[in-house]
Amino acid sequence: MQEPTHRLQEEKRGDHFDMETLVGYILLAGVLTSVALLAIGLIWHWTRWGNVQFEHSIVGMNFFEFILSTLRQTASHAVRPRLILNMGIGVLMLTPFLRVLASVFYFALAKRNWKYTFFTGFVFCVLTYSLFLR
Amino acid sequence: MSFELLILTSIVAGFVGSMSGMGGGVILIPALTFFGMDIKHAIAVSIVSVIATSSGSASAYVRDRITNLKVGMFLEMFTIIGAWAGAAITLVSARRPLFILFGIVLLISWAALFRQRRESWRPVAHQDRFSQWLELEGSYYDQSIGQTLQYRGARAYIGGPLMFGAGLIAGLLGIGAGALKVLIHDLIMGLPPKVSTTTSNLIIGVTALAGTSVYLAAGMIDPGLAAPIILGVVLGATIGTRLLVRMTNQTVRRFFLMVLFVLGVEMMVRGILGS
Repeated sequence: MQEPTHRLQEEKRGDHFDMETLVGYILLAGVLTSVALLAIGLIWHWTRWGNVQFEHSIVGMNFFEFILSTLRQTASHAVRPRLILNMGIGVLMLTPFLRVLASVFYFALAKRNWKYTFFTGFVFCVLTYSLFLR
Repeated sequence: MSFELLILTSIVAGFVGSMSGMGGGVILIPALTFFGMDIKHAIAVSIVSVIATSSGSASAYVRDRITNLKVGMFLEMFTIIGAWAGAAITLVSARRPLFILFGIVLLISWAALFRQRRESWRPVAHQDRFSQWLELEGSYYDQSIGQTLQYRGARAYIGGPLMFGAGLIAGLLGIGAGALKVLIHDLIMGLPPKVSTTTSNLIIGVTALAGTSVYLAAGMIDPGLAAPIILGVVLGATIGTRLLVRMTNQTVRRFFLMVLFVLGVEMMVRGILGS
């Protein structure tokens, strides 16, 4: 029963909401949402058509085009299983991306650690660039 | 490949991956190609599933305060560029070299996992000025010995560039390449084993995202195919992790490590013979 004591000490120091909590919950929420969307998409498709063969392969597009086209289709047609799957993949890819973005803000605003604001900012820029790539 | 076979393969890959400590991609790609999937598509779909498994386990480790975020965020700068370059190479590469490289990397990772178990961790005696400037230090509460362990990281100037190589392999082959990252953390930077595995886990998610973006842009990620694979791998890995916590016996782990050895040899043979 060592751990609860340890946790208590941490909370006494007043840092129970910190970088670790923020990053941990972003990752957890992202993965759970994504897995839920993927499962809903597959089950929905299966209950409606009795199979899970999707006659669909995406053409090459960058991440933001992929998200936009999914949202646009969702808005114009009724929501379909395939769009739910696209959203699942989109949320999954956004998860580490948002984690990095949150880190930039954390180091800049809460810690005022410019060294690490630069490092995480660099990672964020490279990722943004690669997500725009096609 | 039928849906049932696809999801079953993915569950087994996630399970064996977490039992052996090697990650799902390393099992998934040989299995998918064995059932006839093109290796480049297997790599592309595997790297998306790597985001899910690594983020899932990283979330728990980060909240337990074992992961060193500064070490992770410094090294990520190198791995994402590596992954990006690696994925770009795979797109234009011939298929046989990919099989051979996969076999080689699998066997190296396998050897790294074996080594890890024998040696015990020694704290860094002298921290160089660059690592000091990077604030590479930390402490975590080790439940097995019941006390807080202080540590410092060293030789970040070698560790960083080497992580570019680990990222390159990850992007090239669609795997987390966790064993290679852990090797760099352990041998070069002198981090304690628990910190190196959990920090490598955090880095893997972002690295896999950089690789995924290249494969997505090339039109190689089909959500209809990726969805069952991601769900299967996550489910298998979750079951594996639960079992692993309760398991004290090393025999089972050794069995899974042998499976990996066979897979590594098999991939190399297929690459050389050109199946």
